[in-house]
Amino acid sequence: MALMRRSLLQGSLGFAAGGALAGPYIANAQAKTMSAWFAQGFVEDEDIALRKAVAGYEKASGNKVDLSIIPFAPQRQKIVSAITSGVVPDVTQNNPAEILPLYAWQDKWIDTEDIVETQKAKFSETALKSAQAYNDVTKKRAYYGVPLRGACVPCHTWKSLVEKADMKMADRPRTWDGYFDFYKKVQDNLRKKGERKIYGLGFQVTANGVDPAALFNAFMHGYGGQGIVTPEGTLNLDARIREAAIKAAEYLGGAYRDGYVPPSAINWNDADDNNAFHAKLMVMDVDGTISTEVAVKAKHPEWYFDEMVTDGLLYPTTNDGKPITCITAMLNAVIPKGAKNVPVAKEFLKFLIQPDILQDTVETGLGRNLPPMPELAKTPFWENPKDPHLKGYAHQGLLGPTQPDYYVFNPAMAEVYAQHVYSKAMIAVAKKGKATDAVDAAFREIKEIFDKYPIKQS
Amino acid sequence: MTAATVLDVGSPSSKQKQSLWRYWRGNLKGSEFTWALAFSVPYIAVFVAFVAYPVFYGLWMGSDPALYSDVFSDVIYQDTVVNTLVFVVLGVNLKLFLALLLSGVFMRPGWVTKVMLMLFVLPWAVPQLPAFISLHWMLNGEWGLLNNALWILGGIEGPSWLNERWTALGAAIASHIWKWTPFWTVILLAGRMSIPQDIYDAAKVDGATGLNRFLFVTFPLLANLYLVLTLLATIFLLGDFNTVFFVTGGGPNNETHLLATLGVRNAFDLARPDLGVAVVMTALPVLIPLVIILMRKLRTAEVQL
Repeated sequence: MALMRRSLLQGSLGFAAGGALAGPYIANAQAKTMSAWFAQGFVEDEDIALRKAVAGYEKASGNKVDLSIIPFAPQRQKIVSAITSGVVPDVTQNNPAEILPLYAWQDKWIDTEDIVETQKAKFSETALKSAQAYNDVTKKRAYYGVPLRGACVPCHTWKSLVEKADMKMADRPRTWDGYFDFYKKVQDNLRKKGERKIYGLGFQVTANGVDPAALFNAFMHGYGGQGIVTPEGTLNLDARIREAAIKAAEYLGGAYRDGYVPPSAINWNDADDNNAFHAKLMVMDVDGTISTEVAVKAKHPEWYFDEMVTDGLLYPTTNDGKPITCITAMLNAVIPKGAKNVPVAKEFLKFLIQPDILQDTVETGLGRNLPPMPELAKTPFWENPKDPHLKGYAHQGLLGPTQPDYYVFNPAMAEVYAQHVYSKAMIAVAKKGKATDAVDAAFREIKEIFDKYPIKQS
Repeated sequence: MTAATVLDVGSPSSKQKQSLWRYWRGNLKGSEFTWALAFSVPYIAVFVAFVAYPVFYGLWMGSDPALYSDVFSDVIYQDTVVNTLVFVVLGVNLKLFLALLLSGVFMRPGWVTKVMLMLFVLPWAVPQLPAFISLHWMLNGEWGLLNNALWILGGIEGPSWLNERWTALGAAIASHIWKWTPFWTVILLAGRMSIPQDIYDAAKVDGATGLNRFLFVTFPLLANLYLVLTLLATIFLLGDFNTVFFVTGGGPNNETHLLATLGVRNAFDLARPDLGVAVVMTALPVLIPLVIILMRKLRTAEVQL
């Protein structure tokens, strides 16, 4: 009996050990299965669009894609953990977008030039620039991303609230300060009508998430302060940039200080402004993508078509009437070094960036994101005259003057955003500090961060 | 003589080895030892994979001394240390003192007490995330339930609870106390119930009633348990993440972080896992002595029982 039990135990242990050793062999036999991590869309249609594209690839290639669609914030944590541990997927999107240049700096991505090359002529210049990053190991700038979608930061307005204040949308000035001052008057009128808690301006004067940096950049450009980082990756804090930063900090922090921004905005997270806007508690919001509008399209078509306005074509100009170059953040796919199925990953991405596949993906996703190719914004979907949002959004983020975000030129800017340096300046002014002092402190911190990322050559 | 010498010298060593081998096998014989080993292997594998490896990996990640100069010079970290101390001192002591008092209330007989106890444990039973997210919304200065209620009931314009460091931290502490007091109350209730009625009867004969009964009978008998719970709650709270992350988000302006939330911020928002680990590591000089004291107290309690 003892012998039988011993035999059973030995046999079981031997079987377990054999199974453990045989596992990798079986895995290798399925070499045409690749893993891909993408962030969950803000609307379900985005995920449907992605699954459709993946299914199309699987059918066309015979390969299998192990697709993980992960909520936005956890995906960021998963990517950082994966890169740190070395256990990486074959493809992931750059969520947040800054990780492309941050990890390119550390030589963590595979070169993607051969993938981009297949559609290079069709991509926008901004998309192509956004796919490149500086590698501090090779001391060269190279392609590490594959552009999939883009997004800019439009202004969203409740027409119904403007009218409730006995004002007209058509009366809004087109120049920067006049445009935003208009909403202060809307709030003043609403207060006179007894509305205690509707605010004119939805500025994210907070030190959470990605919105405040995008907002501050928009205001920097609005005040003519374009180019805080040169395309070569050099920090530029000259008098023009400083003046624009002071005006931006003063306007944004000052609007909060003067009561035109919801007080809770000082501690908002990325979703709080969307929630407050959807609850019609602020007249306008400056927020990335048109997810604000798209999210309510199915449930409240009357809001989408009649009440909400996206200023894309009518995006304000600088105070002296010049058009503003909008920052378009690109969503790229990247292949981490250490990926097990690089050839399949590359083949998959070449499939994904075919124009008809990209078009289908962004259009099935209701147009929350922009295509990375200008020709794809000239389709009936984007030019639909009955849709009040899409055409203007495409103009602002793709067809009009655009540029990549500054972290593309130097990953130091990614750290500037993560440390919420701009937010500190806005909050200092909101708490009755002087804008000049706040900006000088911010610039000192920015300079310290840039000193850690010297770009030797481009 | 030679053989005897060999025997004399060799015998104890051989016995020592045998004794060591027997000790290592836990006095198990034959196949019993193999069975014991087979049943232990899964546990050991899980322990190594999910406890030992992450801990040592974390220690390795946070082993660069240069990280700590970055951590200590960070203004946010300096605020975070103060926040953590305030959170732990107030959170643990208020919660346990309340639990001690409430456990006495729930000792009272009658169905009303039982119903109250059922309602009272609800905050603990509710999942943490929706509870804390709801509190975050309720505390919104403009549109939150609390300030709306203040306005409707008394025409009072409530403060923006989450906009200033100390009100936001206070809100997080209050949320934590609301969520976890029921748990500790139930444990102290069980502790009170284990005190034999005879002792109370004897005390009553000696004239100990009311507050004296609590001071001279209940509290001395619960003191060891109370101390153990205090140590446990302190250890739990030093690693608390959910309360602050979901109630204040670490804001405004990163002024209400605890070590755990700041560690996560550094690890993922800044994409610096090593810096995140270093932040959490700075709690070890407090945490390790607490665990040692707790272990010693638990051993004492075992002997007393």
